[in-house]
Amino acid sequence: MPHPCGAAAWKWPNSRFGLRSVDKPEAYPTGCYNSICMFRKVLIANRGEIAVRVIRTLREMGIGSVAVFSDPDRTSLHVRMADEAAHIGPGPSAESYLRIDRILDAARRHGADAIHPGYGFLSENADFAAACEAARLVFIGPSAASIRAMGSKTAARRTAIAAGAPVIPGTDHAVTLEALYHFAATHGFPVLLKAVAGGGGKGMRRVDRESDLESALRNAASEAERAFRSPEIYVERLIERSRHIEIQILGDRHGNMIHLGERECSIQRRHQKVIEECPSPLIARYPEMRHEMGQAAIRTARAAGYYNAGTVEFLVDSDRRFYFLEMNTRLQVEHPVTELVTGLDLVRLQVEIATGAPLPFAQEQIEWRGAAIECRVYAEDPFNDFLPYPGKITRLTRPLGPGIRLDGCVYDGWTVPMEYDPLLAKLAVWADTRDHATARMIRALREYDVGGIHTNLAFFRQILEDAEFRAANLHTGFIDEFFQRRQPPEPPPDLVAVAALAAALHTTARKPAAATGATQTTSPWRESGRDGLLR
Amino acid sequence: MKLALTIDSRPETIEILSPAPACRFQLGDAPPRDANVETPESGVYSVLVDGRSYDAFVEDAPAGLVVTIEGHRFEIEVHDPRRWSRKAAGAGSDAVQLILSPMPGKVIRVLAAPGDEVVPGQGIVVVEAMKMQNELKSNRTGRVLSVQAKEGATVTAGELLATIGVAENADPGEKTAP
Repeated sequence: MPHPCGAAAWKWPNSRFGLRSVDKPEAYPTGCYNSICMFRKVLIANRGEIAVRVIRTLREMGIGSVAVFSDPDRTSLHVRMADEAAHIGPGPSAESYLRIDRILDAARRHGADAIHPGYGFLSENADFAAACEAARLVFIGPSAASIRAMGSKTAARRTAIAAGAPVIPGTDHAVTLEALYHFAATHGFPVLLKAVAGGGGKGMRRVDRESDLESALRNAASEAERAFRSPEIYVERLIERSRHIEIQILGDRHGNMIHLGERECSIQRRHQKVIEECPSPLIARYPEMRHEMGQAAIRTARAAGYYNAGTVEFLVDSDRRFYFLEMNTRLQVEHPVTELVTGLDLVRLQVEIATGAPLPFAQEQIEWRGAAIECRVYAEDPFNDFLPYPGKITRLTRPLGPGIRLDGCVYDGWTVPMEYDPLLAKLAVWADTRDHATARMIRALREYDVGGIHTNLAFFRQILEDAEFRAANLHTGFIDEFFQRRQPPEPPPDLVAVAALAAALHTTARKPAAATGATQTTSPWRESGRDGLLR
Repeated sequence: MKLALTIDSRPETIEILSPAPACRFQLGDAPPRDANVETPESGVYSVLVDGRSYDAFVEDAPAGLVVTIEGHRFEIEVHDPRRWSRKAAGAGSDAVQLILSPMPGKVIRVLAAPGDEVVPGQGIVVVEAMKMQNELKSNRTGRVLSVQAKEGATVTAGELLATIGVAENADPGEKTAP
């Protein structure tokens, strides 16, 4: 039965909510978005900044939101912001955010029509998507079959090859240690170990020599097991100095599919993106690449029968040849830069597509305006090997003013839990050109202060002021090279004097009790310094 | 009061001649300077000096203080020049490698026991925080002297996890674990 919104074959046989719509077509007014067709309530099967991000759009759409939370997340912002909240277990993800049964039970109890999975956790778990459908809940994302075809990185390689997209030499299946030795012997070093169920850089290891293979495989498998409940690892040849450029695609359930252009995410640490931009400076120079990569992405996604929002990731080598890397069958962390440049709300589009609505525009209606940059603010110490640094936030000043967008889950007094990703917030800026956006980001970073924990805010400023970044000579090894060539910045003498003064006043102002309680760690220098002061 | 500092590994001295808010201070041998200093928030120092305005953000870190001003980051240790060198020399002895936790987190694996012979690069303890595992390794051929880390325990940044002695002769002067 045709749906009043114009779609030819709109129906949701498994959805309680879809059945209602199909049963009473005469009940529809014109247009379906604000009528019976739209979800009344959506559960967000996630936490942190992405849960907050989804809640914001749901609220704009007049849809109720249900948050889920583990013990350490009781006071997290997504729980406080949502209309309703359900407790789903203790801190470890395996006992809460990865528990399909508890999440579906929460959705039932709260009467949700649909589930938004966010990114990470269960977002690329085909069993979860299938379980949602079986429970008559709409999964806001692609079908379980598409996730299976693309969610496993090795299956995705096979799909991409079938769709005619170029791929990097690698194995199309999980490897044993012997197979790993064999691959390395055939293709040489460096190689890259990757989790078959991977994402977010978890379970990924660069290996440069044979003697490191065994421990790298062990650590990667162990990390993958903890992150994805699957220890399977496969291997690819590592392409040095490549760019990471990805295409955002969007498809509806009626066979329409378009791309929303690219994002360049070459600035990475530990294979995880830290700075993303749209447009890619490379594609800004060679605009025909956007069309070529966009079409390759659409072909690959179509081969998997894909619908909803998704991202096809490519590596681009120094000769501008691109290779399929993987497909993320979900909303991407860095989606805000696409939103800023295209003016679209991807979460709103995801929700509309999930109701069965057709895409509201065609490819030629998509425009890209200006330049956007995003910095991922992590609780970590970039000057100490990017090690994570959870703890209590004692002070918070956020950047404001023209062209700033801040997606985050942080508030003054919140304790950043050690159980989850260190992502605190995504600071994005928009301006008419890349140069202006860079200047705006530096200005915003200067306004941003997070106290009590370590963050990478000061590090971003050094990257953005780097001549190579300004010249857009980007590649995935950028940060390693940056640390090698970096001359510690020579600060103006006045700044040194003020820093020394602040440190001296801070130390002398500390009362004895505060001095021992203020920090849990000691060094011989600090102890002796305090001893000296207190005598 | 005169304090010795290490600013990004460079030694420096500072003397506070009069306290905040109408602060007078002397850095090294430079002429004394005046600064108006207020603390609008804990750990934030608003400093007016020579008509210029600065906000300095001070943070405790495992190895001292981190001061951030206008996006510039300074690692600063404050100590008393009369005592620190003696103590530091004792603690930094080359004979023993101290395996310290580089971050707050949880010990998820202990890979060595007291008395084990180890080689450079061998994993001793694995600490995890925020889904990231960090394998702390021996930097020498030697013997594990002690293991303080316990699997499942929560540790702070800088906490002692294990000690490793040199190979041939475990230092007679060093404490050896039972």
